[in-house]
Amino acid sequence: MTRRRSLGLTTVLGLLAVSALAPAQIVGQGAKPYSPPRMPDGRPDLQGTYDLATLTPLERPAGMNASLTGEQVARLERAVATQVALGSRPIGGDRAAPPTGGDGSRGAAGNVGGYNTFWLDPGSSFTIVNGEARTALIVDPPDGRLPPLTPAARKRLLGLARPSAENDPGLDSTPGVYDDPERRPLPERCLLGFGSTSGPPALPNYFYNNLHKIVQTPDAVLILTEMVHDARVVRMNAQHLPTHIRKWMGDSVGRWDGDTLVVDTTNFNGDQYRYAVEAAPGRRLLFVDSLGAKEQDRLSGPGKDLHVIERFTRVAHNALLYRFTVEDPATWERPWTGEYTWPATGQPIYEYACHEANYALENVLRGARQRDGEAATRP
Amino acid sequence: MKTMLSVTGALVLAGALPALAHHAFGGEFDANKPVLLKGAIVKVEWVNPHTWIHMEVKRPDGTREAWMIEGGSPNSLLRLGVTRNSLPVGTEIVVDGYQARDHTLKRANGRNITYPDGRKLFFGSSGTGAPVDGADPTDRRPAR
Repeated sequence: MTRRRSLGLTTVLGLLAVSALAPAQIVGQGAKPYSPPRMPDGRPDLQGTYDLATLTPLERPAGMNASLTGEQVARLERAVATQVALGSRPIGGDRAAPPTGGDGSRGAAGNVGGYNTFWLDPGSSFTIVNGEARTALIVDPPDGRLPPLTPAARKRLLGLARPSAENDPGLDSTPGVYDDPERRPLPERCLLGFGSTSGPPALPNYFYNNLHKIVQTPDAVLILTEMVHDARVVRMNAQHLPTHIRKWMGDSVGRWDGDTLVVDTTNFNGDQYRYAVEAAPGRRLLFVDSLGAKEQDRLSGPGKDLHVIERFTRVAHNALLYRFTVEDPATWERPWTGEYTWPATGQPIYEYACHEANYALENVLRGARQRDGEAATRP
Repeated sequence: MKTMLSVTGALVLAGALPALAHHAFGGEFDANKPVLLKGAIVKVEWVNPHTWIHMEVKRPDGTREAWMIEGGSPNSLLRLGVTRNSLPVGTEIVVDGYQARDHTLKRANGRNITYPDGRKLFFGSSGTGAPVDGADPTDRRPAR
């Protein structure tokens, strides 16, 4: 076991080192344009498995430049690696139980702690595009931040806030939220990955299982997301479905623009982000950073009028460039665009059969029934 | 820019690392029921969305209890080289966490899973996210 573990870690570190360096070498702007391998129909071959994990956040942290110098990259990535190493250190077998009343952990860890670092794989290097180590996925607006929410969206999103229960920060006080499995968030129900893992747009989840696989035919392109085994089929040169047909990941149709695959997605369900976000009450959910600091902790995402345009370009034998534009006039005051490199990986996508052993959902609902029983018998 | 070049800076940049997860631990486990469990592994369910480690806990009075411990998704561990045989039946472990909110269930989250000498079961792959409570004197991350 020890040997296997060492080998595994060495392998992973080796891969990470390669992935940190490779894009800089391969995505450069050489004099000779890159010529991708081609399918029998003459189109570029985009197929492969890609690991989207990256340290680059969706939005640029305040005060940062758009890209990092080589020295900054080295220092930051080393700092993260050091934290990982520290997280692997022994903590004492004679330790005590954690504190009564909770350990103060926030988010999905809900005051009872998450689990050890060794389960996680959120990425260890910055995305490199055109030779630049980026500090945000968003490239437009140029400040790397999401555009402002519309006044209507502010109202709508704040109305969706999920406050913590009084005296129990681990619980959601939204009425009825534990009454029915269908009131539980989509990830908890094994329907969609959390955050925008499946997308579109497909974003890193900064947690684990960030692998995506592309399978391509002349008539359809499959985008398989490891998390929750979300499979999106892009119908080539097709019309969108009638507007009354709504899907969690929307309806995707594709076309070729030169050597770039362009995927247009509409017909979203409208609740995809409301329920695809993490389950923890009071947590900041995806896509909201246009609210004030206090309100940031509240909510949520775009609705059924969401329109996403993705552009997939093979820029090297081992990398795609993924560029996406998101618009929803009911949510943001203007469209926004992001891009990042999808490095190919030799790792397989593992099955994510989620329903059969989803004891967590059962435990959550059983806990609520116990509380119901206690409330009913309370004098 | 200069201020970002510290460890703290790296973590700020590296993530606004959200404590995202498949589900809400707070709805599943009871913050008023902390547990420290010592015993041997009986079975491991390497399944999604969460791994479950079955263990037999020896109580001080000599009786034994069957407990189930919730971990993370096994997929990232598989990519680290972990196999179904990596945690053999009979392996002694120490777990700290919190019991399920339904107290009839002997289930807890594996907030920290170690060998009896305190070593973590596996090496971390990357990133942050493990509990921060001072149990690890080398952990300099700010409490979340």
